[in-house]
Amino acid sequence: MTGEARPRRRERRHNKAGTAWVLWTLVAVCWAATLFAQTPDPRPGQSTPPPPKIKHPAIALKDAAGGNVLDSGKPISTRQTCGGDCHDYDFITDSFHFQQGKNEMNPELLKSHGIASFNSSPGMFGKFSIIPNRQLTHAGITDPSDADMSQPEWLLKCGVCHTGGGISEVDLRGRKFLSADAKPEGPLDPSYTIRDRESGQVVPWDWEKSGTAEADCFICHVPKASRGARREEMTAGNFRWANNATLAESGIVTKDEKGGFTYDRAAFNPDGTVKTEVLNLSDPTLENCAKCHGFTARDTTTIQPIQHADIMRGTEKAGWIYNGAKISDTQTPHIVGKETMNFPWDAHAAKDLVCIDCHFSPNNPGRMIQEDTAKNLAYKPGQNDIAVYLKRPDHNFARGNIPPETVNMTRHNTMRGCEECHDAEKSHAFLPYKSLHFKALACQTCHIPAVHFWAYRSDEWGFLMDTGTSRITFRGIEGNIVDPDAKVTGFHPAYVPTLAKDGHLEIRPTNLITGVYWFDKGKGRPVFTWQVQQAFFESWSKDVGWTYRPEVVKAFGDQDGIIDLPQGVYNTPEKIELVKGLLKKYAGIPDAELRIEVVPWAMSHSIAGKEQATKDCTACHGKHSILHRPLDLDDALPKGVPVIYGGKNVNVVNYKGGAPTFDNRPLLSSFYIIGNSRATWIEWLGWLSVIGALLFVLVHGAIRLFGGKS
Amino acid sequence: MSAKEPLYTLHERIWHWLQAAAMILLVLTGFAIHYPDRFGILGSMARAVSWHSWIGFALILNAFLGLFYHLTADKYHHYLPKMDDFTGGAIRQARYYLYGIFKGEPHPYEADLRHKLNPLQKVTYLALLNILLPYQIVTGVLMWGANRWPVLFEKAGGLRVLGPAHTLGAYLFAAFLIGHIYLATTGHTPWSLFRAMITGNEFPEGTERHDKPETETA
Repeated sequence: MTGEARPRRRERRHNKAGTAWVLWTLVAVCWAATLFAQTPDPRPGQSTPPPPKIKHPAIALKDAAGGNVLDSGKPISTRQTCGGDCHDYDFITDSFHFQQGKNEMNPELLKSHGIASFNSSPGMFGKFSIIPNRQLTHAGITDPSDADMSQPEWLLKCGVCHTGGGISEVDLRGRKFLSADAKPEGPLDPSYTIRDRESGQVVPWDWEKSGTAEADCFICHVPKASRGARREEMTAGNFRWANNATLAESGIVTKDEKGGFTYDRAAFNPDGTVKTEVLNLSDPTLENCAKCHGFTARDTTTIQPIQHADIMRGTEKAGWIYNGAKISDTQTPHIVGKETMNFPWDAHAAKDLVCIDCHFSPNNPGRMIQEDTAKNLAYKPGQNDIAVYLKRPDHNFARGNIPPETVNMTRHNTMRGCEECHDAEKSHAFLPYKSLHFKALACQTCHIPAVHFWAYRSDEWGFLMDTGTSRITFRGIEGNIVDPDAKVTGFHPAYVPTLAKDGHLEIRPTNLITGVYWFDKGKGRPVFTWQVQQAFFESWSKDVGWTYRPEVVKAFGDQDGIIDLPQGVYNTPEKIELVKGLLKKYAGIPDAELRIEVVPWAMSHSIAGKEQATKDCTACHGKHSILHRPLDLDDALPKGVPVIYGGKNVNVVNYKGGAPTFDNRPLLSSFYIIGNSRATWIEWLGWLSVIGALLFVLVHGAIRLFGGKS
Repeated sequence: MSAKEPLYTLHERIWHWLQAAAMILLVLTGFAIHYPDRFGILGSMARAVSWHSWIGFALILNAFLGLFYHLTADKYHHYLPKMDDFTGGAIRQARYYLYGIFKGEPHPYEADLRHKLNPLQKVTYLALLNILLPYQIVTGVLMWGANRWPVLFEKAGGLRVLGPAHTLGAYLFAAFLIGHIYLATTGHTPWSLFRAMITGNEFPEGTERHDKPETETA
């Protein structure tokens, strides 16, 4: 057995060695294959290049009749060009981005949202705001004094950003302008009239002359879109050519001497379509959104948020700058203390996120958040199809909840929230009671610790400057906002409760804009600007402009007869009474009331990364909690007048200690901030018991000590 | 009962001092939370919160061990007041603290192995251990568990209710501690009661003792 066993063992050893060699060879081959198969990692600091975008096919630009504009020379019709066989124009434009409340003109809806009945919609087309101090005229008025801003005037003033579609194609009664059944219902129909500035009379608007403005798809989808050229046409009342104007910088059109645009054949293919590299239709870029929404750039050291005489709205209202560059690298304007700000203006911009990453089309299959109606599905297959999306892309873009915006409230908090990208539980190791903090505070509360730019502080239409417009002040800047040498000091936000996604209240940072305006108690609405102008000015002409009434100059001005910004204030009850009397005498308003309205504009951009975010517990929990930090309101706010906040009479203005400041304690009363909040009676009772015990010890001990018996 | 048996057993003394240390630390860390920017003894509020929670649980554990000991060692009767303790006994003891002590009168109730607490102590500890301590434990644990059982936390009123409620309890505990420490100086000498709670006996070895055989009654 032994003799036989030896060769077998050797054989086995030999076999084992052979097997091992085969296995090692296989492993080596696999390893080598893996090496070759692996995609090389990007170098540190280099992001993976994005996949190439699918290019939009070449399109023919069509006129309203469906003909090629190269042949007709007529204005571009986006209804025919983009709509027609490809996209559902009516579906796309029936969205809040185009309608701005026009499709929500329902008194019951307004009531349910707690919006005052003098408004006609919850959106910018129909809702009063302290900034423009204008009201869209209600349909069906019979008294000229009830006419403020007509539909044509709204387009002249606001149409540059509110890019056509429903508002500029259909009247308040739902009839398409320039159609056979489109006609004014009486001489004051706000869809067909406008108030003439010189005569003050309501006069007809000539829709034949202005044309209508179809949805301007180009301003969002053409990278070289020209807001400036569009603005020129809209403000001039040349609505029909506005969409052509948007292409003025693309090389496709050129403005002609007749007020229209001609087409440059070099930009077109022989088959009549526009060259794709010229039109370059694409998803909205940062620059596209920035044209209306606020200063936005991928990486720039020059911040200039005033575009074609308009301050970009997001920057104006909340001071946000969506820019990936470091603040310390800013060349213009002069940012005070920038040397220490070695971090980006916005952490998301620095990571190359673009607007549509969060504010996407809700039915885009690549981005949509799936609604789980069954409440047990993590993924619902077949919910949407790319073909459906391409035909009918939903333009009710996903959004947050940004007070005081109330348009299309059913779609508030539909955007991709912070928590859908970030797992805050994992990244806040220092923070005790995470879920409690995350519930009580919006992420922005700690991640926007300061605003390093300027923003509106007040817009006061209660007093009119010699331009016929409001008295405007800014916070966060020493000097004029158009002066590149003005010192931008920035400011700290004010904190107010807002509704979170699940309906509970959370604390959020805001910029406060204070309005001072006159309210017509008899009519139950703010006094119209043209009525305030009647009270303040005796005349207006193209050459001279506005001329104050002598009694106004006497009360507010000084010896030079000029009323400067610091003088245009209601610092005595007599001045309030004077203007009240002027409103009665010249505007026929018998019981006007001066009001203050403090409006919070929620902050959601200019996000600070973790290094700059607020982490010190005592910042919020201490006696001087930043959550109650007083934000300066206008120094010259009148005293003794009603203060409105959130549509209600809430006294959020603190006049103690000099300049008026915002006092949010009435608003945050439902929050208990440990270390800061105090239940007064408990503090009294608690300290009485402690001090009582100490007093007992002192007195009792002293008697024992000095009484000599114990 | 041996004449050498201490007034306070080792178990009682350990329990007492652990409880005392926990209460004092809870009051201090509680103040660091209630006044984070003016009483930052632990450096950061987050650290104060963490310490407060750990010490709180140590106190709860100690309280249950104490309860277990007093029940199993048949010591709970020291804490059970009789009817007279609420009326006549309490009045006699109060009169002593407010009057007799200044006149050099003897203690109306001498502590001994069967009667370690005077009537006022019994009444106070009855309220402290059966009302204030559980109240403080419940409000504290509910706040601690805000992340863990948020529904219960909210049903209990959330921070809006629990925060002030727990704060009130803390103030009352602080007041109790001040009074308790001071009254501990009202023994035969200012230090004799402290000595008793450290060594077990009020008087040094070999001197007069006030422990009485268990067969005697007070």
